Amino acid sequence: MKIRITDRDHITGLRSLAANIMSLAAGLLAISLIFLLNKVNPIFAISEIFSGSFGSMYGFKETITKAIPLILIGSGLTLAFRAKFWNIGAEGQLLMGAVFSSWIGLNIGPHLPSYLIVPLMFLAGFIGGALWGIIPAILKIRYSINEVICTLMLNYICAEFLTMLIVGPWKGKTRFGFPGTDNLPESAILGLIPGSRIHYATLILALVSAVILTILIYKTRFGYEARVVGENPDAGKYAGIDFLKTSMILMAISGGLAGFAGVGEMAGIHKYLGYPASLSSGYGFTAIIVAWLAKLNPLYAIFSGIFFAGILVGGDAIQISLGLPAATVEIVNGTLLVFLIMGDYFLKHKVTIQFSKQTQGAS
Amino acid sequence: MKTRFFVFPLLLFFLCLGLVPQMNGTANAADKLKAGFIYVGPVGDYGWSHAHDLGRLYAEKKLPWLESVIVESVPESDSARIIDRLIQQQKCDVVFTTSFGYMEDTVAAGSRYPDKKFMHCSGFKRLENVGTYFGDLYQMYYLNGLMAGALTKTNKIGYVAAFPIPELIRHIDAYALGIKAANPKAEVHVKWIYAWYGPDKAKEAAEALIAEGCDTLAFTEDTPAVIEVGQEHSEKGKQIYTFAHYSAMQPYGEDSVVSGQLMDWGGMYVKILQDIYNDTWSNEDIWWLAKEKAALLGGNFDAPINPKFVDELKAYKIDTPDLGSLSAYDLIMKRYDQMKQGVDVFDPFTGPIKDNKGKLRIKKGERASKGDLLSIMYYVDGVVGDIPTN
Repeated sequence: MKIRITDRDHITGLRSLAANIMSLAAGLLAISLIFLLNKVNPIFAISEIFSGSFGSMYGFKETITKAIPLILIGSGLTLAFRAKFWNIGAEGQLLMGAVFSSWIGLNIGPHLPSYLIVPLMFLAGFIGGALWGIIPAILKIRYSINEVICTLMLNYICAEFLTMLIVGPWKGKTRFGFPGTDNLPESAILGLIPGSRIHYATLILALVSAVILTILIYKTRFGYEARVVGENPDAGKYAGIDFLKTSMILMAISGGLAGFAGVGEMAGIHKYLGYPASLSSGYGFTAIIVAWLAKLNPLYAIFSGIFFAGILVGGDAIQISLGLPAATVEIVNGTLLVFLIMGDYFLKHKVTIQFSKQTQGAS
Repeated sequence: MKTRFFVFPLLLFFLCLGLVPQMNGTANAADKLKAGFIYVGPVGDYGWSHAHDLGRLYAEKKLPWLESVIVESVPESDSARIIDRLIQQQKCDVVFTTSFGYMEDTVAAGSRYPDKKFMHCSGFKRLENVGTYFGDLYQMYYLNGLMAGALTKTNKIGYVAAFPIPELIRHIDAYALGIKAANPKAEVHVKWIYAWYGPDKAKEAAEALIAEGCDTLAFTEDTPAVIEVGQEHSEKGKQIYTFAHYSAMQPYGEDSVVSGQLMDWGGMYVKILQDIYNDTWSNEDIWWLAKEKAALLGGNFDAPINPKFVDELKAYKIDTPDLGSLSAYDLIMKRYDQMKQGVDVFDPFTGPIKDNKGKLRIKKGERASKGDLLSIMYYVDGVVGDIPTN
């Protein structure tokens, strides 16, 4: 028996979609096994997840609320990942966005009307996230420092920095000694769709960003350069692409969008700057799976963002009704990611198993 | 072959449909009460959330009409969603939110669902249908402090602390007051780890304190990490005394754990739920201490002091203004007894108490009010350093 692995020449859209669906199905099957081991009916559990997030108006609204940061970060990551820039630091970029915008909101907010302060906060959030994203870009291109480690570690630095701010100089007077800034002034708090927690300004921003990014990646010179940097760096060098500039811009965008997400969470959900863990609940990491499921297409990130938000929201449903531990959702997400990446491999490579003993040519 | 691929998913689909009605069918009988509990950590954390869940299970056993559901590891950012789910889909009559960070969302939910009850643990905001409850351990820290002061050989005592908030300061201060009463020469060193659940950080902090010369450690963190460090050193021949926090952690360090602070939420949950069931509930703030048997002394529920250390405590003499000279062991038991009678009989925060800068904070003969205790933000005399704040 012999296993032969060859590259596939052409990958059609249909095949790509089929690979995605099959990886998801295989992933769900593997998860079912985990459920079975816990003596839970997997069909019931999985249907519970999705009916908990899409099956009712209440669940759906919460799903959209959770999808906002996932779409923003996920679509930003598609750009970075296309250039094979493995940005694992969206979590830190989100937090930096929240830090920058909360400073603007707290200090300038009381003196300005909503229509001025909110755009200012988003701008500040974008700059915060972008700056935190540019650091690893420079380190990678200039000093060949591995961006995976660098972006990952910058997450922790940012989280500690934020903690230092809220237990120290930024601690609010109305918090009774508890860490956290004061609440934002009314004008700086994002409006919600009535009866929900959907901060619509950020939602619109997320959808628009995904569309603009799609155009950027597929229709502009910069998008082309980013893709060349990722797929064929040697050709890129011959063509005279400025790697430093391209990497800096794409990480500024990727980080900036994560910064937007930080503004949305801070000013839409919490209304003050609190602990890093309560601000984000791991969106920066979940968004990696979102980008991957979207096949690195920002437009698809809208749908995969909603899909994973659904799993997160549905996760508490299975916790409550089946008594499964909270970590179950993370296992579901992680398993799906592993299967999606595997599916990608099979999409790009053709695996044939030969049972005959005859060998073909010299290898 | 081909058709089977279609049949299987179709079958799955119908199976799903068949199961859907099951999960929404949890209708409440009229004489039942359904309670939802929201925990900030995993119930297996062996600390805060674990203790709350033991309390819930106790109430469920005691109250036949009670049905309860839990959600664990809920980030503060998600509490609003979880409350909504418990009310709207699980049809809970009362929701217990057991972390300070849930306060704003709990109060908001209170005005959103005026006909439901909410109980928020450790907060200070109330509404007609939103009450607050808390059980505090500062008295036990004082008793642990008496033991620490009596046992320490190096006169350097450590404390691994989670976050610089009033609750922690209150516990460190009570611990230091106990130490001072037993051994005026001893001082308390504090290390902050900025995590409720952080066994790695707690271990590091404990090792650092031991390296600095501390031989006695208390802590606030939701795992037995500090105790494991103490046990490891004690087994190697360097005796480190430790005090269990929140749960019965003594089994993690039989050679190291002297005693500890235990919280029993069971009685309080039974009372609250009974009141709601009988319609005698009001939103008054519940604050339970040793008197109500919410705060208990010990590293496990069997004995207040590990028998291993009893002789050493009996041999150590302490002079007191009110009880004369007596052994540390007798004093601890006496004070514990007084605390069980009530704060008016004995309370650690009775003046004169000076902060560690020398300023008189509680005058002679005065006792700190509950409000003072809830907002305390100064180190008492005997604690080294400053509270990390602006």
